[in-house]
Amino acid sequence: MALHIKILGGGCANCERLEKHAKAAVAQLGVEATFEKSGDYNEYAKYGLLATPGLVVNDRLLSGGKVPAVGQVVTLLTNVLAGE
Amino acid sequence: MVHPMNLFDTALRLAQSGLGNLAAYLAAHVLLCLLPAFFIAGALSALVPKEAVTRYLGRTAPKFISYPAAALGGFSLAVCSCTVLPLFAGIYRKGAGLGPAITFLFVGPAINILALSYTGVAIGMDIALARLVLSLLFGIGIGLLMALIFRRDDVAHDAGGADAFAGRATIERRTWLFLLILLAVLIAGTLQVELLTGGFASVTLSLPAAERFQAVLNQLVPFDATRGEEGVTVQGALLIGLLALIGLAAWRGLNNITEGFNRWTWVTLGLVALTLSLAAVRMTAGADGLTIALTGKALAVALGLVALGLLARQFEAYAIQEWLWETWRFVRQIFPLLIVGVFAVGVIRPLIRPEWIESLAGSNTLPGNAVGVLFGVFMYFPTLVEVPVARLFLDLGMHRGPLLAYLMADPELSLQSILITASIIGRRKAWTYVGWVALFSTLAGLLFGAWVDLY
Repeated sequence: MALHIKILGGGCANCERLEKHAKAAVAQLGVEATFEKSGDYNEYAKYGLLATPGLVVNDRLLSGGKVPAVGQVVTLLTNVLAGE
Repeated sequence: MVHPMNLFDTALRLAQSGLGNLAAYLAAHVLLCLLPAFFIAGALSALVPKEAVTRYLGRTAPKFISYPAAALGGFSLAVCSCTVLPLFAGIYRKGAGLGPAITFLFVGPAINILALSYTGVAIGMDIALARLVLSLLFGIGIGLLMALIFRRDDVAHDAGGADAFAGRATIERRTWLFLLILLAVLIAGTLQVELLTGGFASVTLSLPAAERFQAVLNQLVPFDATRGEEGVTVQGALLIGLLALIGLAAWRGLNNITEGFNRWTWVTLGLVALTLSLAAVRMTAGADGLTIALTGKALAVALGLVALGLLARQFEAYAIQEWLWETWRFVRQIFPLLIVGVFAVGVIRPLIRPEWIESLAGSNTLPGNAVGVLFGVFMYFPTLVEVPVARLFLDLGMHRGPLLAYLMADPELSLQSILITASIIGRRKAWTYVGWVALFSTLAGLLFGAWVDLY
C-alpha cells in the first residue's frame, strides 16, 4: 500500500526536521511514499492542527506541534500500514 | 562646512557608543537572565505538551475556564509568533471562539518568559510586574469585549471538521520540577536581595594585570553614569568572552543535537554552567589584584545546576535533545537580531536630545501615553529589541507610565501583525482589535504612571 505523507507548516526549522525524520522512517521501512508540503492555514484547520509542524499520513493527522523521533515516526507509519 | 575629520570623529564616537551599549548589555543584563530564560523557553516548548493547555480551549469550554486558559496559554506556549498565529486561527475557527483567541493573541508576545525576565533586569521589576498583571487583565478584557461586539458572527462560525481540541495531555510531575528548578536558577541569578548578593567568603588573586585591564576597558568603553550609561568590568569582559565561546561550541554541539550528543554538546553545557556560576560571584579589580567574593547567589545557582543535571537523567534522551534543540533554535532566531538591535540603540543614543523625549512623554499625561502607543504601532522591532529601545527612552527622560504604554503596544501591534491577523479574522475585526489595544495600552500607561507618581 502506498503512503501519502503531508508535512504541515510553512518553512520553519522544525518542519524541515519533521520532513527529514519522515523520510528517514520511510527509508527504514523500505516502503513507497509520496511527499507533500503545505503552509496553508485552511489546511491546518481542516486536519485540526493547532501548532506546526504537523504530520499527515493518508489524510489523517498523526502528530502535531512537535517533532517525533525517527523511531516514533516508524511506529506511526507501521500502525497505518497494519490498519489498512 | 563639515570638516571630513570631524565626520570621521563623529562616526567613531557613534560606533564606540554602539559597542559600549552592546558590551554593557551582554555583561550586565543578558547573562544571568537571558541565558536561563532561553533554556526555560526551550523547556516550555519541548517538554510541555501543547494539548495540556489547548484541552481547555475547545468549543464547549465554559468562559471562566477558556479565558484564563487562553491567557496562561499565551504565557507558556507563545515565545514566537510562528506558534501564536496557527493556534490563534485554531482557537478562533474550531475552538472557544473569537474572545479567547483574542486573549491568547494579546497575552502571548507581551509576557512570555523571555520578554518578562529581560524587561525585569534591563528596566525594572516594577515595569515587568505591571506588564504581566495588566497584560493578563486587559487581554481577558479585550477578548470579552470583542466577543460581545461580534457575538453574531461568532455563533455562526464553522462547526465542521476535525475536533482539534480533543487531545488530552497532562504535564508530568518531573517536568514541573524541572521547570521550577530552571525558574529558581533564573530568579536566584537576577534577584537583588542581600541574602543572595552578599559575599560570605572571598579570595584575592594577586593579579596586578587586572587593574590595568580595567583601566583599558574604561578607556575602550567610556561611560557617563549620570546619563544611565554603564561601563564594562573585568568580570563583564570575561563573561562576554565565555558567551562567544558558548556560541562557537553550540554551533557544533547543538545544531545536530537531535541526532545525539557529541563532544561539543558537553563542551557547550559545561561552558554554560561555568558562565552562569562565574556571573554569580562578585569580582572586583583593585590595587592588590582581583578579589573574588563567593555570594549566596553563586551557591544557589551552582546547587540549581547540579539538581538540573541529576533530574535530566530521569528523562528520555530524546526529550532532553528536544529541549536543547528548542533552546538553541530560539537563541539562533532571536539573539542575532537582538545584538544588532542593542548596537543600533547605542549608536542612536547620542543623537537624541533628552529634551525631545521629555517634552513628548516626560510626564504621565494622556498625550504622553498616546505618543508611547503610537510609536509602538508604527515601529516594528524584532522580538525583545523593544526592551533596549524602552531602556533608551527611560534614560533619556521618558516617564515610566508612557514607557509601559509603549511596551504594551509595541509587541502587540505592528503593521505586519495587523495584516496577518486581518487575513484570519477579517479586516473589520482586526482594526477593532487594534483600536482596543491602543486604548487599553494608553490606559495601562496612565494607571501605572499615576501609581508611580503616588509612591
